Amino acid sequence: MQMRYSKPLAAGCALAIALGAAACGSSSSSSSSSGGSSGGTLNGAGSTFQAPLVGEWAKRFKESNGVTVNYDPIGSGGGIAQFSAGTVDFGGTDAAMKPDELATAQKKGAPLHIPIALGAVTVSYNVSGVKTGLKLDGATIANIFLGKVTKWNDPAIAGQNAGVTLPATSITVCHRSDESGTTKNFTAFLVDYSKAWASGPGSDKSVQWPTGTGAKGNDGVAGCVKQTQGAVGYVEQAFALQNNFTTADVKNKAGNYVAPSLAATSAAGTGVTPPPDLRFATINADGAQTYPITAVTFELTWQDPCKAGLSKTVAANLKGWFDYVLGTGQSIAPQLQYAALPPEIKTKAQAKVDSMTCNGAAISASS
Amino acid sequence: MSALALPPTSARRRRADRVARGLVALLTLVALVPLVLIVYYLLKQGLSSIGLDFWTTDPTGSFLGSPGGIKSAILGTIVMVGLATAVAVPVGVGVAIWLVELGRASRFAHAVRYFIDVMTGVPSIVFGLFVYITLVLAGVGGSSFAAWKGSVALGLLMLPIVTRSAEVVLLLVPDTLREAAYALGAPRWRVIARVVLPTALPGIVTGVLLAIARAAGETAPLLFTAAVVNDTTFNVNNRMNSLPALIFQNVGQAQDRLVQMAWGAALTLVAMVLVLTLLARMIQRRSRLS
Amino acid sequence: MEAGTITPAGGRSSESLQRSPAARLPDRLLRWGLTALAGGVIALIGYFFVKLIVESEPIFQKVGFLDFLFTSDWVPSKGLYGAVPLLAGTLITSAIALVLGVPVAVAAALYITELCPRRIRSPLTVLVELLAAVPSVVYGLWGFFFLIPKLGPAERWFADTFSFVPFVGGSVTGPNYFVAGLILAIMILPITSAISREVIATVPSEHKEAALALGATRWEMIRMAVIPYARGGIAGGAMLGLGRAIGETIAVTLVIGNAPTVGHSLFQQGYTLAAVIANEFGEAASDPTHRAALIAAGLVLFVLTLVVNAIARAFVLRAERGQRAARTPAAGMAA
Repeated sequence: MQMRYSKPLAAGCALAIALGAAACGSSSSSSSSSGGSSGGTLNGAGSTFQAPLVGEWAKRFKESNGVTVNYDPIGSGGGIAQFSAGTVDFGGTDAAMKPDELATAQKKGAPLHIPIALGAVTVSYNVSGVKTGLKLDGATIANIFLGKVTKWNDPAIAGQNAGVTLPATSITVCHRSDESGTTKNFTAFLVDYSKAWASGPGSDKSVQWPTGTGAKGNDGVAGCVKQTQGAVGYVEQAFALQNNFTTADVKNKAGNYVAPSLAATSAAGTGVTPPPDLRFATINADGAQTYPITAVTFELTWQDPCKAGLSKTVAANLKGWFDYVLGTGQSIAPQLQYAALPPEIKTKAQAKVDSMTCNGAAISASS
Repeated sequence: MSALALPPTSARRRRADRVARGLVALLTLVALVPLVLIVYYLLKQGLSSIGLDFWTTDPTGSFLGSPGGIKSAILGTIVMVGLATAVAVPVGVGVAIWLVELGRASRFAHAVRYFIDVMTGVPSIVFGLFVYITLVLAGVGGSSFAAWKGSVALGLLMLPIVTRSAEVVLLLVPDTLREAAYALGAPRWRVIARVVLPTALPGIVTGVLLAIARAAGETAPLLFTAAVVNDTTFNVNNRMNSLPALIFQNVGQAQDRLVQMAWGAALTLVAMVLVLTLLARMIQRRSRLS
Repeated sequence: MEAGTITPAGGRSSESLQRSPAARLPDRLLRWGLTALAGGVIALIGYFFVKLIVESEPIFQKVGFLDFLFTSDWVPSKGLYGAVPLLAGTLITSAIALVLGVPVAVAAALYITELCPRRIRSPLTVLVELLAAVPSVVYGLWGFFFLIPKLGPAERWFADTFSFVPFVGGSVTGPNYFVAGLILAIMILPITSAISREVIATVPSEHKEAALALGATRWEMIRMAVIPYARGGIAGGAMLGLGRAIGETIAVTLVIGNAPTVGHSLFQQGYTLAAVIANEFGEAASDPTHRAALIAAGLVLFVLTLVVNAIARAFVLRAERGQRAARTPAAGMAA
């Protein structure tokens, strides 16, 4: 009787042992490949808008400082919520906290908004035959997302794009299904140019979309646009570039149609004076060559992380991370087409970081 | 014996018979089509990504460079499922033994059986939600998301499966075996340990393997509890990657390389689960009891 | 181990089988230990249920049980938690799964047990059961990249041609109720088919032979002898499949579009109770009301599966009882 099941059992055991050996074998080689995993871990979550940038920063930060930064791209709403609940060490959001969100966070400690970069919210589309940037103004974009403009060759679009052959394809709107700072910034722009949008869906991290398909994260919307012929969606510049999307030239306050270039994104930050708590937005900024849908993206941390329940090591690592983000990180940002912070804003942000304490005492950043 | 001359079956009835049987055969074929399509698609999309490099490199999380491999996901799945198994199997088999050997038909046993049945039907996401509120948000163990909490959720999922299948197999052990042992003066624990369990072992192993296969493929509980990270870690009080979570994270991504990674991970996961399932069936077939 | 090769307890002579209290200790420990284990499991499940109810308290206090279930606006950012779109989505996709999946599962079960050549019976069984081995996230992956694009044009044609049928005409979105229901139908095939197969296999051969002896064709025999007998068990299998479909999260959330509205047609987006929990738990971490609403959704889901599984068990039990009753007189007659 032992013979009947012993063979498959033996096979199973051999498999398990082999897997275990492989695991042990490869694990010993992994810790030597990185710059040393002895430095600790930081856990962050939030905005998908900044996820490409944070991912790149995390990789280089680990190489230079030895601290692993895990970032979970769950959307700005999730970032704010997880940060306030204390399940992550820092949060990422493109929408500054609302008063009620601030109140919730203040139960734990004093939250800090640290702006980290500026990025363009592109209006990307996938229309065969249209390979150049269409000129679109705020009212038309609003009407597209309201479902009032349903075909690409609609007069509203054709009127601004003389000389471009537009097909009769139906427009499929791709929008966010999760709470998103990108949505907040995009809808803030629409509210400025469309009364129907202002009185209808309005501007928030999550709105009731009159039409279209929902997807999770900037990456999901990018996927939606890529998969559907005739689709249009709002995604951060890095995603548009990665997927070779055609992006619209959007009409700004000064009346010029501007493409979402790095220069145009940076221009949106110049001349902006943020309030003392650094909760601000750069939508529809002044300037002749400003890209009107430029968003500031933030990271949330505590003014006193230790009082908020985090350990001393985490507090030190947080300070080190933010020093990196506002220092070397700023020179890396343009490589991913994010605009670095304007000098005045960067100084104010650094001042906030310098003011971080651990139970009242100054934090020495781990290097 | 008089020859009963039945009237010949009418052509209409014969036609109806052929049509009905054809329809049933056709529907059976339809039942097989999805499996063929899924396997085909998995191989078509996933084969190009998999390889030793793919399995032994961590995901980089880098937007620009190479997306890396799935090492942390494979190891994470093994660790978390392993931990869940280490807890769920002794408890599950223990409860099954109690039900069959000690509780039998008592009212308490009925209650236990009913509760286990109820547990079988609970959707995995509700288990994940439960662990989320009781362990993650409460910060039990000094951490928020942690691999061991993921194992708790998986263990809750596996427990009723292991108990149920173990109970079925234990019930199949002939009473004559037990009675002979008792008649020879063996104490109960000896009878269980030396007679009942060895006889039922293949069936129990089958049940355990099937439960493992099920737990390895579950995503929902892990989203709430272990979160997703890129690096390989064996610290169960930290977040840990897992194959289903990695796949889930990368579906819907626009970047082709990330989608490729998802397909490769899916192929790896399905291969692991298939091996476990087929192993379980092989053991079951060779068992004396089924 | 063969019976009869067991050594008597403690190796003592088998003259006296009376055991000393000390020797009885291991047995006592075993009894206490295992009973405690079983009790512990009950306590855990009880705690689980109680915790869900307690944690969902805030939303029922705020909104009221009936209001939660029957309002149709689910807008967490505005503090509105009406579960109608979620319930509708869960029920619609499960209904589609039943309508598409049960006939195929039963047909496969019938074919395997009654109609197919003996040689391919075993491989065919294994193939159908392999569907159960595919993880739900892989179903979602496949549905997202293969089903949705491939079915789009067909759905478009169907909606246009049959637009007079209610809930069919109108716009078609990529992810929609139908694709979700189709994937669920595939996922419930193995379980419904397995149970149907078991039940069909227990039909007494006397019934079948009697039908055939009366001149019935193969199909007529199935219709007269097999299906009526197996009806209850098949219904039970269908209910178990339904329970699975109701609780499925990951595959559904990847192909249903996650829109908190009730679509006008089968080919529009929707949401389900399970999908909303998976999607919004991250955003609800610091909002007690939102969290309570999600837990309430989980509770509703739990109760639904409980009810469905109870019905399934009742069906299967009744079928078993009927089988036992039917078997005795037949056995008596055959003797």
